[in-house]
Amino acid sequence: MEQIITAVVAVVAVPLILLGYIRLGEAIIERLPDTLQAWIRPYFWALPAIGFATVFMVYPLIRTVFISFYNSAGDKFVGWDNYVYFFTFPDTLTSLRNSLLWLVFFTFFSVLFGLIIAILLDRVRYESLAKIAIFLPVPISAVAASIIWKFMFDYQPPGTTQTGTLNAILGAFGRDPIAWLINLSTNNAALIFVGIWSATGFCMVIISASLKGISTEVLEAARMDGANEFQIVRLIVTPLLWPTITVVVTTELINALKTFDIVYVMTNGAYNTDVIATQMFRQLASAHYGRAAAVGVVLFIAIVPLLIVNIRRFQQQEEQR
Amino acid sequence: MVFAKLNPRAIALGLGSIFLLAACSLGGSSGGNTQSASDVTVWTAWGGNELKAFQDIVKPFEASTGIKVHITTNRDSTTGIANGIAAGTDLPDIAPATTDPIQLKDWISKGAIKPVETALGDQMSAYVANTYPGLVNPPAGTTGDDPYIGIIGGKHYYLMIKFQVKGLLWYNKHLYTGQAPKTFSDLLAIDPTQYGAQKLFCAAFSSGAASGWPASDQLDNIIMRQSGPKVYTDWIEGKQKWTSPEIKQGYQALLQEVSAAHVYGGTNYVLATDFQKAGEGLFKASGSYKAGCLFLIQATFQPGLTSFANLTAGVDFDFFPHPSMGNSQFDGNYNGFYDNYAMYNNTPAARQLMQWMVTKDSQQIWASSGVGMSSNKSTTYTDPVFKAAAQIVTTGTNMLVTAGDYMPTDMRNAYWQSLLNVTSNPGSLDSELSHLDQVQAAAYKSS
Repeated sequence: MEQIITAVVAVVAVPLILLGYIRLGEAIIERLPDTLQAWIRPYFWALPAIGFATVFMVYPLIRTVFISFYNSAGDKFVGWDNYVYFFTFPDTLTSLRNSLLWLVFFTFFSVLFGLIIAILLDRVRYESLAKIAIFLPVPISAVAASIIWKFMFDYQPPGTTQTGTLNAILGAFGRDPIAWLINLSTNNAALIFVGIWSATGFCMVIISASLKGISTEVLEAARMDGANEFQIVRLIVTPLLWPTITVVVTTELINALKTFDIVYVMTNGAYNTDVIATQMFRQLASAHYGRAAAVGVVLFIAIVPLLIVNIRRFQQQEEQR
Repeated sequence: MVFAKLNPRAIALGLGSIFLLAACSLGGSSGGNTQSASDVTVWTAWGGNELKAFQDIVKPFEASTGIKVHITTNRDSTTGIANGIAAGTDLPDIAPATTDPIQLKDWISKGAIKPVETALGDQMSAYVANTYPGLVNPPAGTTGDDPYIGIIGGKHYYLMIKFQVKGLLWYNKHLYTGQAPKTFSDLLAIDPTQYGAQKLFCAAFSSGAASGWPASDQLDNIIMRQSGPKVYTDWIEGKQKWTSPEIKQGYQALLQEVSAAHVYGGTNYVLATDFQKAGEGLFKASGSYKAGCLFLIQATFQPGLTSFANLTAGVDFDFFPHPSMGNSQFDGNYNGFYDNYAMYNNTPAARQLMQWMVTKDSQQIWASSGVGMSSNKSTTYTDPVFKAAAQIVTTGTNMLVTAGDYMPTDMRNAYWQSLLNVTSNPGSLDSELSHLDQVQAAAYKSS
């Protein structure tokens, strides 16, 4: 019962407090001189958002940085120890290496496939149907996708019926099954492939939307000038899509750095498949709050430049409008 | 505009009511500490039949005392408790304690966890007398604290509820008609094809986030029989190097069990398959063989797993105790995983429930439920598996813990991981053991 009351209070109280803030604040502002009103009103309206961001985003960030310099119990300052651990311990170095693999291959292939599919589907009659098929994995949760692919990668002893689709295909060609998620030469690639499968639809949709914005007259003019279709794509379409591609690339880079669910569900980091986020979770679950915070700070620092690029790109697009 | 229609007085009244409500509700609890004589909050990791058995234990307690027991299943209760302690929020009255000895010491030092002596009061001596000695006393030959069964500073912190015996050799009764192998060499000398099985062993080490633990159970049973309880407990406590000959010898014996020559499906299958399916090979034909394997090393809970569904103990399957590892003085060692409860809030209701859980009547419900073994040594079993396992426990010398479960979390995780890695690549054994030494050096520090 107490929890229900708390939940109701939380859900009802916040909007009502905001309502009261606006109502009472406006009543006060209206009594101020016009010049002061014009100056103060934007700050007044922005203040709740700034307040929420401070409480729920800025404070936790500062607190995380603070915790990262303390021991697990949070009662002893340990300086850079947690960061030294992160950058020197073999397990965490493996997770760093794998996150780098995700960063490069996941981003490159999901954007490349998204671009190619968007351009190709733009030229076919069944575009909508094909887009739906490609986009279908996007709304599926990463956990569900991982379970689906765990079945796809399933391994049974050689000579027995293969229940995993991929190994069944290999068996049909007389090849031995592969333990995709165990084999060190295939497991990271297999996980990244699942990520690409999940993300390509998103890249395709964004790029496709931008593609629709390219004037057909430009393309017609190029054709009139004798450009073939490959030249049109390479020299006209791709450069015009570049601002969108940049946004998609930075978004996917951030997603690559944040990768957690697929690795956690499919291998839980075993067989050298750990990534930064699973390492962070492991430290947290082991009550190493200092180390977990240090991993979080490193992850944050890695993501900030990408966020800046994205924000600047959005600002440029706004200015162009 | 909607705002314009609202009366400022009504808004003020509304806001005041909300703050009042909020203030009242914040005075309540999130973790469930009721400090009550009529309610007790319990977290459990159990689900399914285990939860049902626990509910059966709680029912007569509620009926006789009028105390309401609020049970919440929390699969990750250790993290929940650790976070609650760190954040200073309310804890449940009763919940399983961490099996990480470093974390346990930390919780005790913060006063978060109360001694069993406090919970049981004058019933403590009866509890110790009625419980299997291995669950409440350090192994023979050792003295003082034993954080692995929750004894720290001379006080007990784990109330032992039930347990599972590990390291049993399960087999298909329709297939294997030979005698129980007496030694590990005898075991390896058995020709599985003579009985129609393809390989000697079935094994499966995958278990989601905890992958590797089934292998650790096998290795624990090897090491404690090869090198004895002193080395074994030193190893758990971080005093025995992983690169020492005793531990390396244990790994080498395990690698024999999971070598391509002896294990069904090959190492990739062992690593890729969930432990619950490990027993399938005992009953499933493989090519021209009647079964994939002859033996599976697993605990008393094996009959409850999917691969033994619809099979009858004593008719379709049975088990042998683990064979000797060639050092007869240690043959009487056996191990298990112990389910414990600890008290976090010293309330009258919590104390009463703790006292009820160790009575023979309560423990008999566990024993009769068929989900595990009762910690009370005078309970009786109808289930043939648990009846036979109780015989092993009664006649054994040292009842030890499963090593991995009671190491610090970092050590345990690295241990389980190493078992996957060496199974995949036996040539990496030395480098894996060196890495474990490196983890050991850091994992046993208290912060």
